[in-house]
Amino acid sequence: MPAPWIFLIVLALAAAGYLAGRLRALAVVGGDIRRLHSLPGYYGWQAAMLAALPALLVMGLWLLIQPVVVESRVEGMIPEAAQGASLSLVMTDVRRVAEGLDLAVSTGVMSAAEATGLSADGTIRATLGKLGVALGSGVTPEVLAAAKALRTAEATGRGAMAAVVLVLALAGVAYALWRIRAEYRARNVVEAGVRGLLLLASTIAILTTAGIVLSMLFETRHFFAQYPWWKFFFGATWSPNFRGGSDLGILPLLWGTLYISFIALVVSVPIGLFAAVYMSEYAGRKFRMVAKPAIEILAGIPTIVYGLFALITVGPLLRDYFAQPLGLGASGSSVMTAGLVMGVMLIPFVSSLSDDIINAVPQSLRDGSLGLGATRSETIRQVVLPAALPGIVGAVLLAASRAIGETMIVVLGAGAAAKLDLNPFEAMTTVTVKIVSQLTGDTDFAAPETLVAFALGLTLFVLTLGLNVLALWIVRRYREQYE
Amino acid sequence: MNDMRLEERIVQNDKIKIDAQDVQVFYGDNHAIKDVSVAIEDKTVTAFIGPSGCGKSTFLRCLNRMNDTVAGCRVEGRITLDGEDIYDKRVDPVQLRARVGMVFQKPNPFPKSIYDNVAYGPKIHGLVRGKAEMDEVVESALKRAALWKEVKDRLQAPGTGLSGGQQQRLCIARAIATAPEVLLMDEPASALDPIATAQIEELIDELRTRFAVVIVTHSMQQAARVSQKTAFFHLGNLVEYGETGQIFTTPRDPRTESYITGRIG
Ligand SMILES: Nc1ncnc2c1ncn2[C@@H]1O[C@H](COP(=O)(O)OP(=O)(O)OP(=O)(O)O)[C@@H](O)[C@H]1O
Ligand SMILES: [Mg+2]
Repeated sequence: MPAPWIFLIVLALAAAGYLAGRLRALAVVGGDIRRLHSLPGYYGWQAAMLAALPALLVMGLWLLIQPVVVESRVEGMIPEAAQGASLSLVMTDVRRVAEGLDLAVSTGVMSAAEATGLSADGTIRATLGKLGVALGSGVTPEVLAAAKALRTAEATGRGAMAAVVLVLALAGVAYALWRIRAEYRARNVVEAGVRGLLLLASTIAILTTAGIVLSMLFETRHFFAQYPWWKFFFGATWSPNFRGGSDLGILPLLWGTLYISFIALVVSVPIGLFAAVYMSEYAGRKFRMVAKPAIEILAGIPTIVYGLFALITVGPLLRDYFAQPLGLGASGSSVMTAGLVMGVMLIPFVSSLSDDIINAVPQSLRDGSLGLGATRSETIRQVVLPAALPGIVGAVLLAASRAIGETMIVVLGAGAAAKLDLNPFEAMTTVTVKIVSQLTGDTDFAAPETLVAFALGLTLFVLTLGLNVLALWIVRRYREQYE
Repeated sequence: MNDMRLEERIVQNDKIKIDAQDVQVFYGDNHAIKDVSVAIEDKTVTAFIGPSGCGKSTFLRCLNRMNDTVAGCRVEGRITLDGEDIYDKRVDPVQLRARVGMVFQKPNPFPKSIYDNVAYGPKIHGLVRGKAEMDEVVESALKRAALWKEVKDRLQAPGTGLSGGQQQRLCIARAIATAPEVLLMDEPASALDPIATAQIEELIDELRTRFAVVIVTHSMQQAARVSQKTAFFHLGNLVEYGETGQIFTTPRDPRTESYITGRIG
């Protein structure tokens, strides 16, 4: 039975549980709901919850774990000799064949018995090819055997899952109905269930983050097994070479990232902050109603469009009117181009966050200052901004982590040449751009030139995570001040 | 000759500091103050009393143009300070507020140190030279606001960390450090214990020797204790204005009488 069906059946059982729970609660007190501890609906809900939640939870876990278990079993079946190039390539073939057989059975090209009884002759490739499943090479007996084992193991697993999940759902309903008494606190049970559900939602987000970090860590370890970490962290040259002997120093990339982000912040922080101050302290209601959404439109422009703007307008402009006359180079793509355009992109970030924060400063503080005969700008400088400062710093740090993670504007605006240079009119590049370029095209996931992408990604992650944590911490401290 | 001089001095003492004529205040369509005319004398404590929502704070805020900062608030009529129309185009409201200081109904210390809170006004108006003089100003303002003893060891601690009553006294210290000519106080003692209240009342009495004080209060006893003149507001109207003693002993309007004896409020 396919998983969506099981899911629907569980939901149907939960719905039935709801109705049955309600009815049973009413029956227990003979229709006099004042004698029930909770409203009848709560008895229904607790039955529905007991039916659906454990069953669906088990189903979810099962779906996650089964492939891992099955594959590791099947991998064990493949003899050393057949592994040839690498186990993962063989396993890809095994999976393809298994999928092809599934498809053949489901479209009626083969009967189920035929598929299990298949022997490794030359026809399999042709048969599957007709179904649109292309196999790279002929199917060896080992691969076919493994594919068959994969199919049986998966079929057993699915069958077992269907049985376990449905039994759990039924047991849940039965237990819930059995528990119903007049004094049974269904309302509190539902409350606890809702809490659990909410907790589950938040743990999923956290677990995902943890999963991302773990997978990065895993690949990064592979990288450092092949490439010394000190050369990665302290190397000043970046020249990957897929034939080996690459220099994979992160410093030029880190330098480019920080340089471009710095310029972007130098542009966006003052403009964004001043715009926010004007919006919240000086602008009339009408102006604000028009200007605020207009500024926020900037935030909705896809970064690739900013990239194009950098490439065809800002880059040549800077080159022709600044770089060349000043003798600072003739490159169309430059740190300055990317930094300026990224700065424009970040203006709405800084301005709308700061605007909210400035608006959160109580009016009574402004009154206090104005009441002492301070002017508006004195009030802003000496009372409003200091009060909002932690929040503004938080906004700036969030903008900074956006800048560090930006890719498109850099590729199109600053180029892809890794360089350690002070001249802002030179082409340079950033960590993110290099991650993309190391992973595009034909890649071999065993070579350090590819694996370095994960080390770069992890470094970037740690950097932005650090900034975000700092920002959150500062913003939180600020919140406490006024509550 | 002698008689002439004596007459002059009496006029000096009864000098009108703020004169409000036919003041109307609107919040959008809400007519909050209706036809109020009051003459506030210099070197006198004037108390505004009246039930909640009758417009005491609103009227008080007209006297230093704090209503300018409220969107949708409109003030009509004529208010003069030393004979000069404060709503005239040539008058700078910022300058005006330095002369007519204000203590608000809710304490609103700045998120700065206690010292900087008090030093704020003198600093922006350039009233002192040098650190030593500023220290003196801060100390004397805190002493007069009856806060010095509690904070003298933690002048650098944040003002927002004080208790509600201490914050209110800090705001009073902040206002008097700016050396205004008129001090408007909106329920300055509503968050204070009896001891601090007594100290503030003493301060108000002392301030009277130098400038005009206008105080809004919900405490009849307080109005009777500290003020020389009392104005009773009701539903946006000024019902009665006169000598405090007269208002409390022989009110002319029945509404005043019911209010001070506790029948409306
Ligand atoms: N910012 C404002 N916007 C709109 N209406 C206001 C505003 N401030 C006050 N009002 C209205 O003006 C009227 C007078 O309010 P005001 O604050 O002056 O009363 P009050 O006499 O000071 O009362 P309390 O003793 O409770 O402080 C009230 O009806 C109030 O709703
Ligand atoms: Mg009030």
